[in-house]
Amino acid sequence: MTRQYLAGELSVRLARLQAVAVDEAAVRAVTCLRHEAETQPTTALGGVAARALDLADDLCWTSLGHGDMAAFSRLSAISADLYEFGICADLLHGS
Amino acid sequence: MTEAQEVQVSEAQIAVHWREEGYYYPPAKFIGQANASDPAIFERFSEKNFPECFREYADLLTWDRYWHTTLDSSNPPFWKWFAGGRLNACYNCVDRHLAASANKAAIIWVPEPEEAGSAAITYQELYRRVNEFAALLRDFCGLTTGDRVTLHMPMSVELPVAMLACARLGVIHSQVFGGFSGAACGTRIADSGSRVLITMDGYYRSGELLDHKVKADEALAVAREQGQDVDKVLVFRRHPSRYASQTPMTEGRDFFVDEVLPDYRGKLVEPVSMPAEAPLFIMYSSGTTGRPKGAQHSTGGYLSYVTGTCKYYLDIHPEDTYWCMADIGWITGHSYIVYGPLACGTTTVIYEGTPNYPDAGRPWRIAERLGVNIFHTSPTSIRMLRKAGPDEPAKYGYHFKSMTTVGEPIEPEVWRWYYDSVGKGEAIITDTWWLTETGGFIGSTLPALHKMKPGSCGPGALGVYPVIYDEAGNVIEPGSGKAGNICMRNPWPGIMQTIWGDDERFVQVYYAKYNKDRSSKDWRDWPFLCGDGAVQAADGYIRILGRIDDVINVAGHRLGTKELESAALTVPEVAEAAAVPVVDELRGRVVEMYVSLKPGVSGGKEIEDKVCRTIETEIGKIARPKNIWIVPDMPKTRSGKIMRRVIAATSNFTDVGDITTLANPEIVESIRRQVQGAKAARGEVPRELTEQEREEIKTFGQAE
Repeated sequence: MTRQYLAGELSVRLARLQAVAVDEAAVRAVTCLRHEAETQPTTALGGVAARALDLADDLCWTSLGHGDMAAFSRLSAISADLYEFGICADLLHGS
Repeated sequence: MTEAQEVQVSEAQIAVHWREEGYYYPPAKFIGQANASDPAIFERFSEKNFPECFREYADLLTWDRYWHTTLDSSNPPFWKWFAGGRLNACYNCVDRHLAASANKAAIIWVPEPEEAGSAAITYQELYRRVNEFAALLRDFCGLTTGDRVTLHMPMSVELPVAMLACARLGVIHSQVFGGFSGAACGTRIADSGSRVLITMDGYYRSGELLDHKVKADEALAVAREQGQDVDKVLVFRRHPSRYASQTPMTEGRDFFVDEVLPDYRGKLVEPVSMPAEAPLFIMYSSGTTGRPKGAQHSTGGYLSYVTGTCKYYLDIHPEDTYWCMADIGWITGHSYIVYGPLACGTTTVIYEGTPNYPDAGRPWRIAERLGVNIFHTSPTSIRMLRKAGPDEPAKYGYHFKSMTTVGEPIEPEVWRWYYDSVGKGEAIITDTWWLTETGGFIGSTLPALHKMKPGSCGPGALGVYPVIYDEAGNVIEPGSGKAGNICMRNPWPGIMQTIWGDDERFVQVYYAKYNKDRSSKDWRDWPFLCGDGAVQAADGYIRILGRIDDVINVAGHRLGTKELESAALTVPEVAEAAAVPVVDELRGRVVEMYVSLKPGVSGGKEIEDKVCRTIETEIGKIARPKNIWIVPDMPKTRSGKIMRRVIAATSNFTDVGDITTLANPEIVESIRRQVQGAKAARGEVPRELTEQEREEIKTFGQAE
């Protein structure tokens, strides 16, 4: 199937996460995930989406821990969009 | 769980338990105006008339010289369609419409900011713009026929203008999806050997003006590392006289198009007459090795195929207003936003932004305002729009005569929302299946002549003859209920010519599996492996099950496990359920189910049996898990998501990986002792997994 566009849509969402990642380690992690989304077979996209969501969750918790509500707000919006996309694209299972 | 002797089944068989849906029928009003409403078309495209049947598609185009051989199969699988023929793709999309439709909108561009208003580009205006840009490419950039150009453009009018300008010159274009990183663009620049990059400074997405030019610098750096230098970067500006990027322009390399173009105002460029088999463009898609592969598409074969399928499957008439919501960066956009619709002389809508910006009603407002009557999108977009605004379509006064879905299988409940709400119960749904490699639709209903069946793409497209093989190459008959690998028995004009720069990889990926004789010149010995699993019903309708890897290895988790878990959750005592695939010596893969119970409920064999019976009743005996484990809790992230990869690893006796981010890491050891201890006692300890199997289990665990 022409599921290539899911790689693109996931990459776009990872770009948003990359833009608000709070430290170098997080930026590197997101960059790696984006590279995977853009280069791996579409069968691997679910794994990338799941790890991206885990990372976004972690970043949300970290920003909350630092009391940075602005960052938390941005990250949680990105995380929610990533989750919705993952569910609608059948890359993630709802729980 | 008792050691029942009933036949356990593989993941692929679980995947085909879905019941066949009932039919929907096209309305008489649609049939009366359809381009293909005479059943005689099936006879014309029957196998006994292959390959000459495709003259009907080729005759929709304007040729400089007619071909002498419809299909040259002297060097399989490097088919040559309409050999001897010459034409120009740009001429067919633009010039030839001027006589009758000069002042008709070829493209309506809709910017994301809703207050900005749309812009209609007539065929006359498009002709001028394409000619001027072609002159710029030829004279300013020094490009000639056969050169490659990479475009990294958002959804803008300038993108089809640039593509058509390249086609006018016989320059091979390679468009990279605008949302991809600079690194992805750079890799493609290098692989294609492009000396020119065409880009834009910025574009709108979800209300933000994004810096896009920054990616050009990243792309060139990556391309240089891979041995390809770029001479010129042409930058279109999203807003006239305003630069939307923070990245400075590089003197002598980067040029604003609006500053160079005035030198070419009014210039006309004669369209280069190209051989039908000349490459028109390269479209990259991901490969199994991490290296993207460039599908090379021809001029005559490809253009005839997308034009013919536009006419018959999208039912495009010149007077229609057609909107495909895909991105031109993917094959759907090349075939069914630019080349096919423009060759048909219709009006095609291009929307810059995200479908739900600023709200879920946006697509329907666009459709209403522009009078869109043919709509085309993906199941993912349909699901997102349905979630965001299930009642939105009813608020707007548009009317579609037909709607297409593409890209992935669509589940019946979503199909029905699309039909009832988006289509208002009056529009045909054409559920299509195809690939980057196929150029155009290869599985679809003909809208006026075939019944619609939710969840199925219908039969093979006109002139394309599908077959489903098992791993051994035996044909799986329609109606058998078994899934296999879907192939096309014959070539068709839209098929890719090769993988750019890698003929051997092309043969290996698409033909090696089922071709028995590399020396054969008979096209029948060269079935094209599509890479998808499928099942064909007795009526000939095909249901696509997903990529082969998913079906064979993890279909249970993608298709079957969702239903298994849903079924298990209907047992009142069950709080959570997770299904995982397990490597099995006899059957390849089997499913194990983990359940946790509600507070105050104690588990035991009776609960296991209840879960088992429920799954058998809800889904079928074939879906019965090999083991059901009642566990005190599931390993979860801090946000409450079940970590299925940990469970899968436990069942398969492999490394559970990093559990430091779990909210309850202590449960992992507890589950491991319970499950692995019980399996050891039963003699169910598997042999050591191969590296591929370990990777598969690791991937499954991540793939949810």
